[in-house]
Amino acid sequence: MTSSLSKQSPVRACIVRAGREPIVHFLLIGALLFVGILVARSLQRPVVRIDAQELGQLAGYWSTQMQRDPTNEELQGIIHERVDEEVLAREALRLGLDKDDMIVRRRLAQKMTFASEDTANLPEPDEAALKAFFEKTKADYQAPPRVTFRHQFFNSDRGKDQALARAKLALGKVDSTQGEALGEPFLLPLGYSDASLIDINKDYGQDFASALIRVPLNQWSGPIASAYGYHLIKVDSRISAKTPTLDEVRSDVSAAYQEQARKTRNTAFLDGLRKKYRIEISGIPQTILK
Amino acid sequence: MGNRWRTTAGSLTAMAVVLAAFPGSTAGSGSAVTGSRAAKAPVVAKKAAASAHLPGYNIERNAYFGDLHVHTKLSFDAYIFNVRASPDDAYRFAKGDTIGHPSGFNIRLSGGPLDFVAVTDHSEYIGALQEAADTNSPLNKLPIVEGLFSTDPVKIGQAFSRVIEAMGTNSLPKEFGDKRIASKAWKEIQDAAERNNDPGHFTTFVGYEFTSAPDGRNLHRNVIFKSAKVPELPYSAVQSQDPENLWHQMDSWRKAGIEVLAIPHNMNGSDGLMFEQTRRDGRAMDKAYSDLRMRNEPIAEITQIKGTSETHPSLSPNDEWANFEIMESYIGRAKAITKFSGGYVRDALKSGILMQDTKGFNPFKFGFIGSSDTHNAAPGSVEDRNYFSKVGRTDGKPEQRGSIPAEGRKTWDIPTADPNGNLGRFQSWGASGIAGVWAEENSRDAIYSAMRRKETFATSGPRMRVRFFAAYDYPQNILKRSDLVTVAYRSGVPMGGDLMPSKGKAPQFILWAMRDPNSGYLQRAQIVKGWVENGVAKEAVFDVACSDNLAINPATGRCPDNGAKVDLSNCEPTKFKGDAEMRTLWRDPTFKPNQRAFYYARVLENPSCRWSTWDAIRNGTPPNPKLLPTIQERVWSSPIWYAPSL
Repeated sequence: MTSSLSKQSPVRACIVRAGREPIVHFLLIGALLFVGILVARSLQRPVVRIDAQELGQLAGYWSTQMQRDPTNEELQGIIHERVDEEVLAREALRLGLDKDDMIVRRRLAQKMTFASEDTANLPEPDEAALKAFFEKTKADYQAPPRVTFRHQFFNSDRGKDQALARAKLALGKVDSTQGEALGEPFLLPLGYSDASLIDINKDYGQDFASALIRVPLNQWSGPIASAYGYHLIKVDSRISAKTPTLDEVRSDVSAAYQEQARKTRNTAFLDGLRKKYRIEISGIPQTILK
Repeated sequence: MGNRWRTTAGSLTAMAVVLAAFPGSTAGSGSAVTGSRAAKAPVVAKKAAASAHLPGYNIERNAYFGDLHVHTKLSFDAYIFNVRASPDDAYRFAKGDTIGHPSGFNIRLSGGPLDFVAVTDHSEYIGALQEAADTNSPLNKLPIVEGLFSTDPVKIGQAFSRVIEAMGTNSLPKEFGDKRIASKAWKEIQDAAERNNDPGHFTTFVGYEFTSAPDGRNLHRNVIFKSAKVPELPYSAVQSQDPENLWHQMDSWRKAGIEVLAIPHNMNGSDGLMFEQTRRDGRAMDKAYSDLRMRNEPIAEITQIKGTSETHPSLSPNDEWANFEIMESYIGRAKAITKFSGGYVRDALKSGILMQDTKGFNPFKFGFIGSSDTHNAAPGSVEDRNYFSKVGRTDGKPEQRGSIPAEGRKTWDIPTADPNGNLGRFQSWGASGIAGVWAEENSRDAIYSAMRRKETFATSGPRMRVRFFAAYDYPQNILKRSDLVTVAYRSGVPMGGDLMPSKGKAPQFILWAMRDPNSGYLQRAQIVKGWVENGVAKEAVFDVACSDNLAINPATGRCPDNGAKVDLSNCEPTKFKGDAEMRTLWRDPTFKPNQRAFYYARVLENPSCRWSTWDAIRNGTPPNPKLLPTIQERVWSSPIWYAPSL
């Protein structure tokens, strides 16, 4: 090789000479380093990866809206848009644009709530627990008193005293009339079978409803005032307020139990979280914070 | 199930209050308890066998009160008004529970629970606004959504107009019509109806609103399904603005076993279009059209918060009570109505009998109901003393609806600015609209059947009851007979029915009304008659019974003033005026056997404070001088028609 060196062209000689110069070594090493760093950087760039599944989803979404499949060009557009969204979002995160943003905060809180509820799967309540819960909340399932009764009506629009007198007179002879109507026609029913006292209360008023509970059974009583006039009433039967058995309302009780358990867990979870933080609030009177 | 439990718990809390009023036999122990406001108890759920009668069954039929026009957050507009209450919440409210109002206070019916309710959200873009507000949804990124969910009422208003306009021109982005969103909402509506239907106690109907308004002229209808069997998705005004196409769709549903009816409303906002005398596409009406329309629309909603559409003072100059809660603007914007004929039901009933005479068919032979059109998911919220209007954050506070002076002022000296005309519209709205039906029991079948046979009535809010029958030969003593109703049905027809041709005698009418124990006393009972005379449709209002033992003045045909007034400092009515009950038998003195006619009953309460006066009193300011301080609450029966033999 050295023999051939002596025969080299002047250009080549020049390169060889330059190759011996330290400044050239320095520049070359520098260039190599530069390329090396570029390559390394490029390898370290964060990746935006759209996998087949997501791509399928995006295209599917597009199809349902447009009622056809996207063309290749449109598919490129979808991908492009998705990539743009991703890089913009990441830049935004890098610049801290998510800070102090209500919508971002709400969304995160919402996701956290869902996540915490998911992880805290509620077990079916066992019989004892359900029974205990039912005992505590029994009042919620109570059925109102029910009454079966008849009544006769005396209109007081043309004078209260006269109506009262007619009603009293009727009471005196009602037992001897074999159920014949002594009162006047009435727009609401004159007889109720197994009616809820709450419904009666709504249509007739409190005085009338409480009289149905108070008067002796199987005999005509009154006169009783209502929102319309005076009445004679005869109660055939009464069922007092009744609490159902657990079996009768099992599904409702179970649902209520689950609902309460869920709420308790959520509250406990939030309480736990709050304890992890020291919460400082300013600019508002202390009384409001209570 | 969580919702059901809350319902139970809520109503029973109210019930516990009532029960507390009966500790044994102590007389008067419940005096402090307003038990009549208590909720109806959802007792232990026990489904009755199909053939058995439900509790309260009455072969002579009971009056049930309800609301068949209710919007929740699933309606695009309600969502924009910041309403976040669901169909379940609406049913809870109707059963007497408390729910939240978008303006930040609690609301509850003071008149007690309703008997039946249909949630009728707008089918157009149903559920889409809720979706659009979800920052996770692609809808949220659409430009039209920007600013829509502001908390500033002015911005809400602007955004609302923008969406309404886009809907009108069918230019909302396609994403809003995503079928998956609609299906989800439609399912929520069906599920809520199913969960809350409690035969014998509380009836729900699956329904929706068909929201057609060509050029902003209102042709809205509520579509009500008889059972849980409903189509996969509603047929909406996006598919067609022409109600005739809706009726054809309803016919095909019926063929497929889906029983359904539609209820038109706010004819007052149609600028004469609701009862125009040609078909929507301009073609002439014919018998087939008339049959199609009547088969699908047996009843009409004649009163609701956005005004009463019975009649307009310009159409009924001789009716001193025609000026009741009249709204003279388009729906959703401050554009003035110019054409009242075709926009009110009395006028339409008259056109109908005239068409029957001249053309042989009557496309306007409908019965009456009322409903609220609440957009707050608050069925039955048409109580003047407990009024919060109906479009959420936009009119939830008195100042926003013009009943108190602006900016905390104490007088009306400085007129309140009304740049977009909203104030003017909200002021003209009334606390009105309850649906009444006469049905054997509280069930879907019984109530739906009542609507089909038009045995329905409308009230302006109070739960007053009205019976209305007609025949030629009722026994003279019928009003005093204990079998009054039996005889009335047996030998006559109830409201909504047809009288047979007369054999010379004039028809007699039994009009029987009873006050609402939670509202005022009755002042007068009237019969409104429309008839055809020499090819012209005419009308007259007869006073047929007066309160307080007063006799009709033969010269005027009117009841004398019964002296009932209202103390405007506290809304107290004059004591001992008016009747609890009115019962009369009336024979038409102007009857001509050859004149086709219709008759309906209207019963008026004594005057009481309008909602705007209640607002003012609570605020300690004088009532708005531009508004009537008092109203006369009322009930309207469906008509009875008379046809001459030909």
